[in-house]
Amino acid sequence: MWLLTFFCLLIGVLIGFQLPILLPVIYVKYMSIGVLAALDSVFGGIRAYMEDSFDNIIFISGFVTNTLLAAGLAYLGDRLGLELYLAAVIVFGSRLFQNLGIIRRYLLKKY
Amino acid sequence: MRNKSGQISIMIVCLILGIMLAVQFKNTQNSDLHLRGARSDELLFTLNNVTQERDSLAREVISLREKIASVQNNNDATAGIQDELKKANMAAGLLAVEGPGVVVTLNDSTRTVQVDEDPNSYIIHDKDILRVVNELKAAGAEAISVNNERIIAMSEIRCAGTTILVNSNKIGPPFIIRAIGDPQILESGLAIKGGIVEELKYYSLQVQIQKNDRVEIPAYGSAVKFNFSKPKKQ
Repeated sequence: MWLLTFFCLLIGVLIGFQLPILLPVIYVKYMSIGVLAALDSVFGGIRAYMEDSFDNIIFISGFVTNTLLAAGLAYLGDRLGLELYLAAVIVFGSRLFQNLGIIRRYLLKKY
Repeated sequence: MRNKSGQISIMIVCLILGIMLAVQFKNTQNSDLHLRGARSDELLFTLNNVTQERDSLAREVISLREKIASVQNNNDATAGIQDELKKANMAAGLLAVEGPGVVVTLNDSTRTVQVDEDPNSYIIHDKDILRVVNELKAAGAEAISVNNERIIAMSEIRCAGTTILVNSNKIGPPFIIRAIGDPQILESGLAIKGGIVEELKYYSLQVQIQKNDRVEIPAYGSAVKFNFSKPKKQ
């Protein structure tokens, strides 16, 4: 199953490279925050899946709202002249590591 | 069953994440920054080449002018025409000249800029030089140079980024403006009440006017080209 997930990620990357989309430079920052939020959601989902507390609705809604909120926060920060995106970077970054650590422990316990 | 749908949604989200990652990756790779870096390198290279070419051509112009002068000197019959020519060359700025005049030195302010002040007020701008040159012309200067760039009829004094261009050559502070003319009139023209010097000093810019019995002004360094104008037919 995990192999399949990884395969999906690869296919996504391939599609992304083929897509003729080029974001304007000003939006690159927001997109990168969005990517970070999405990464966090995915790891959170995998962790929940392993803990058997996975809820489909929570996962999908978390993915969408986190991504949009992070990008929106970065945008708001730019308007306010405040580097608000750092808040998103720190929160998502630390959560990423946390989730990764838990996933690692589960895997080690399992095998 | 719940796990099955969970797997599918994780896969779909991974797919979307992959697309986002790839798009973002592409963006940062093609980002303007890289392009700009490459472009500025290329431009710098071209600039160096062109600068070298300009310098060698300038030397050629001066040596050719000397050759013309020596050929003309050998011919007595055209003495009258030579005199005319010399005057015309002097007026055009093609001859180095000397005579009494003034040396005006302009430099940026040494004052430290306070927080609520505009630092632009404390540096010399192209228009300051332009106004000094204009004032000197009005006071009857016969020949003017700015940092050894002879001011001729087609000379520009223009801000280009952080430097000032005169005759398409970059100059920087201190700006030394030499002018030949009646030193007394030139000086009083600049130092007149409410004039340019007073204004520059108000912004604590450094202005020095030196009267001098012998001011040397170099010839115009490049070739004078007329691509469009030609003498009007009578």
